[in-house]
Amino acid sequence: MKFGYVSWLPQTELVSKFIEELKNKRLMGTQCKQCAAKYLPPRAHCKCGSHEMEWFEAPKTGKILTYTLVTFGPESMAKYAPYIIAVAELDDGSRLLAHITGVTPKTLKVDMRVQVVSHHVTEDRIVYKFRPTE
Amino acid sequence: MTQKIGVIGIGHAKFGKRKDATIRELAHEAVKPALEDAGITTTDIDAAVIGVAGDEFAAQGSSGALIHDYIGMKNKPMFRVEAACATGSAGIRAAWSLIKAGLAETVLVVGAETMTQVGSPKATELMAKAGDTRWEYPFGITFPGFYALMATAHMHEYGTTREQLSMVSVKNHKYGVLNPYAHLQREVSLEEAVKSLTICHPLNLYDCCLISDGAAAVILANEEKAKKLCDTPVWITGLGSASDTMMISERQTLTSLTATRLAAEKAYRMARVSPDDIDVAVVHDCFTIAEIMAYEDLGFCKKGEGGKFIEEGQSYIGGERPVNMDGGLKAKGHPLGATGVSMTVEITRQLRGEANKRQVSGAEIGLSHNVGETGQYCFVHIYAR
Ligand SMILES: [Zn+2]
Repeated sequence: MKFGYVSWLPQTELVSKFIEELKNKRLMGTQCKQCAAKYLPPRAHCKCGSHEMEWFEAPKTGKILTYTLVTFGPESMAKYAPYIIAVAELDDGSRLLAHITGVTPKTLKVDMRVQVVSHHVTEDRIVYKFRPTE
Repeated sequence: MTQKIGVIGIGHAKFGKRKDATIRELAHEAVKPALEDAGITTTDIDAAVIGVAGDEFAAQGSSGALIHDYIGMKNKPMFRVEAACATGSAGIRAAWSLIKAGLAETVLVVGAETMTQVGSPKATELMAKAGDTRWEYPFGITFPGFYALMATAHMHEYGTTREQLSMVSVKNHKYGVLNPYAHLQREVSLEEAVKSLTICHPLNLYDCCLISDGAAAVILANEEKAKKLCDTPVWITGLGSASDTMMISERQTLTSLTATRLAAEKAYRMARVSPDDIDVAVVHDCFTIAEIMAYEDLGFCKKGEGGKFIEEGQSYIGGERPVNMDGGLKAKGHPLGATGVSMTVEITRQLRGEANKRQVSGAEIGLSHNVGETGQYCFVHIYAR
C-alpha cells in the first residue's frame, strides 16, 4: 500500500506504519521525547535533532483554515481534477493539508467543522481526506 | 573602511516563449550587453555565479558549467546556486559574499531558465515537485494552489477582494507594455482580469505569472574597481535572507510570508533605511496575492491593507511606493533562475535614471524582493545610487 494519489518515494518504516494505522482509521503522528514537539504527518526525526520519537494518535476533527479548488492540476493528477484542497487545524492544533469531499466550492467555508477520514484511492493507494462533520 | 559593493554592468535577454534559443544562447544574450555596459570583457571578470533553478526544464544537467563555458569563462572559478524561484537573488547574494570575502573583485552573475519547451502541464508538474514530495505533492497541490490557499485565507481574514487581486495584474500589465524585455506587452482591463479562466480558485489566469524563457546578467565589483570602471555604480547597501517550513501546513500564518518579514528586517537594518525611504521596488508577484502580501510584509503598508494599497494606486508611479515598474513576474515573465537577476537589473536601471517611460523620477533608493517557492526562501536586497 502506498500513500497519496501520486508518489514515488520509497516506503520507509515510518510511512508503512502510518499507512497501516490509517487503514484502521487511526491518524497517527510522532512526538519527540526530548522536546515534546508534535508532528502530523509524522517524522522519523525531530527538528531539535533528536531521533527519539514516539507515536501518538491525533484527533480526527477540526476546522478548515483555507482551501482552493484546483482546476488545472499537475500532469500526473489530470484524472482526478478538479479537486478541492484544504488546510485544516485539528482539535489539538496540528495542521494537515488534504482533499475535502462532500462539499462544493459554494458550500465550503473557512472555519467549517470537518472530520478526517481514511480513503482508498485505488486498491493499493490510501490517503486521509476531510469531510464535513454531521 | 569597509569596501562597498556595487553593480557595474547589467544585461537582459528578451523574456518570452523563445523557440529561437536554448539556455546557452539566452545566457549569451544577457551577458554580452552586461559586459558592454560595464565596458569590460570576460578577462576582467574574476569569477561567475550561475543561477538555474531546474535541470529538467532545459533537459540539461549541470547547466552552470554549460553556460560558464559558453560565455567564455573557461578556467575561471564558478559555482551554480539554486533557490527555486529566488535562484537569481541567491546568486547576487553569493557573488556579493565572494567579493566581501576577498576571493574576487569582480563577479558575473547569470540567471537563466528555459521553461516553455516542456509545455504547461509538465511545467506545472515540475514546479509541484518542488513542494514536499512525501506529504503535500501526493495530493496534487500545485504552485498556484499553494498561493490560492493563501489568497483564500487573506480574503477571509482581511476582506481582500477579487477586484483588488486583479488590480495588481492590471498595474503590472500596464508597466509591462513599457518594458521591451517583457514577455507580455499588452494591457489588460480590470473586467477582463476579473473574469479570466479559473486556475486554482480564487486565483485565475490573470493572477498567475507566466511560464517563460529568459536570462539576465549582472556584474558586481568592489568599491575600488567599481569606481574605476563605472561612472554610475549602484551600491548594494543591504541584504537580508530568511527561510520557512517546507510544508505549508506547518506555517504559523497563511496570510503572510514570515521569510519576507525576517529578510526585510535584516536588509533594512543593514542599509540603515526604513520602508518609507524606498523610492522604487520590485517585489515577487508570482501571483497577485503574493504582491499584496509583499506590500504588507515589506512594511509598505499595514498588515491586511495590501488590497487597499493597490486600490488606492499607491504602488503606481506617482503613488506612495511604486512597485514592479518592469511589469513584474506577471507581465515580464518568470524564468525561475533569471528572475532575481532581472530584478537587480531593473532597480539598477531605475537608480541610474535609465528606465525611460517607466522611470520613477529621482529614485535614489531601491529594493528587490525575491521569494523561492511559497516562502521557503526569501531574499531582499536594498540599493542606493
Ligand atoms: Zn525534539
